[in-house]
Amino acid sequence: MELMNEIKIKSKNLNVYYGEKQALFDVNLDLNEKEVTALIGPSGCGKSTFIRCINRMNDVIDICKVSGNIEIDGVEINDKNLDVVSLRERVGMVFQKPNPFPKSIYDNISYGPKIHGKGETKSELDEIVENSLKKAALWEEVKDRLDEPGTGLSGGQQQRLCIARAISVNPEVILMDEPCSALDPIATAKIEELIDELKKTYTIVIVTHSMAQAVRVSQKTGFFHLGKLIEVGKTEKIFKNPDNKMTQDYITGRFG
Amino acid sequence: MSNEHTVKSYEEELRYLIDSVIKMGSLTESQLVDSMDAVIKVDKDSIDKIIKSDDEINKFRSKIDTQIMTLLVKRAPMAIDLRETISSLKISQDLERIGDLSKSNAKKVKPLPLDLPEELLGNLKRLGDLVIKQLNDVLDSYVNKNYDKAKEVWEKDEQVDDLTYIAMESVIDFLSKDKKNLDFSTHLIFATKNLERAGDHITNIAESICFLIKGEYLKGSRPKGKVIQQ
Repeated sequence: MELMNEIKIKSKNLNVYYGEKQALFDVNLDLNEKEVTALIGPSGCGKSTFIRCINRMNDVIDICKVSGNIEIDGVEINDKNLDVVSLRERVGMVFQKPNPFPKSIYDNISYGPKIHGKGETKSELDEIVENSLKKAALWEEVKDRLDEPGTGLSGGQQQRLCIARAISVNPEVILMDEPCSALDPIATAKIEELIDELKKTYTIVIVTHSMAQAVRVSQKTGFFHLGKLIEVGKTEKIFKNPDNKMTQDYITGRFG
Repeated sequence: MSNEHTVKSYEEELRYLIDSVIKMGSLTESQLVDSMDAVIKVDKDSIDKIIKSDDEINKFRSKIDTQIMTLLVKRAPMAIDLRETISSLKISQDLERIGDLSKSNAKKVKPLPLDLPEELLGNLKRLGDLVIKQLNDVLDSYVNKNYDKAKEVWEKDEQVDDLTYIAMESVIDFLSKDKKNLDFSTHLIFATKNLERAGDHITNIAESICFLIKGEYLKGSRPKGKVIQQ
């Protein structure tokens, strides 16, 4: 039997409501450490809602209520007393549209470490900026113009800048919500290669609408439909021979 | 496939591919029937026609190859569609090989004398009939996506092995009776072996069909009958 990595994140009977509307129904999903888990499913199926539970991004929506459990390393994160800021330090996020701060490339990266009290001296910050940009495979392209605005980079570079920004605070988990949907194929390929490299250090969860991308980057895939986790398993199994008819209909393009 | 694709042209392309494999299968089957007939009746007039029909089968093979490449590039098929595409590729390869073996057998009719002993031909015919039935059954199981029937064919290859052994023995027996039989008996030995190999390709097809339907390969080794020492 093939060895699986240890479980990093565990959701148990997770339910999410936006006002009266229930968005997630009893989701039980284990995410393995230093692996990429892809979440697929039609728009509005709850996959983004699910990942937003992992860093409590849903807290900022007033009408949103979450019940059930999410554990990271066995520790419940839905605890009201939990320090959300330090949670988000451990769980970084990259969004669909690259969203660099309207600041220089350098400041985009150094901002997070500064507010989390990391890198007190200039040389420490320099080191964090360089390492983060190197890990995000962007250093060579920007090292001579760190003081230029981040928004001046190309779309693909901006997305890698956002990944570097997420990495800069040394997180354990990176959540990616359709990180390539606004990028061209080459920029997409670069991000995918980067994801492959990053999984050696981080636990990654990626929401994607591209089946091919899910197959390329992930080891585990979960299929959501109407707020329910329909099937989860090894990516190869899901795309070659899924157990559930609904999964099969979705990935073969027979859905709805 | 119970549900249709959202994209109609994708559905049509898959259907067209499966139809091509089915057509190639029935062409291969009639070629095998014809070549077996030619051997048993020592009918030298039909040789050319059989050789020619092999060209048709080969054309199907390259047409199917092209269809598969286009499907892979255009649709990146997943799950059942992926298995359908991959098994079409494998089945068409096995069908083409069966076609080659039928052609090879037809060519072997030329040097045969018209007065071959009935017992020898009888044993060869029994083997040929079984291989034809096996091909017919496996193609049926493909058309109807019948897992049990495909598995039955796979298991029944044991009988093909047994009948090959019996047919081979009668050829060797005939050969050992008179040295002047040596020349064309060698051809009969090859023809018998070809039928046995066609049987093996049929079991490959059965395996592809089982994989297509359930997404996993048949487990364990296939039952084997008596085997002629190579």
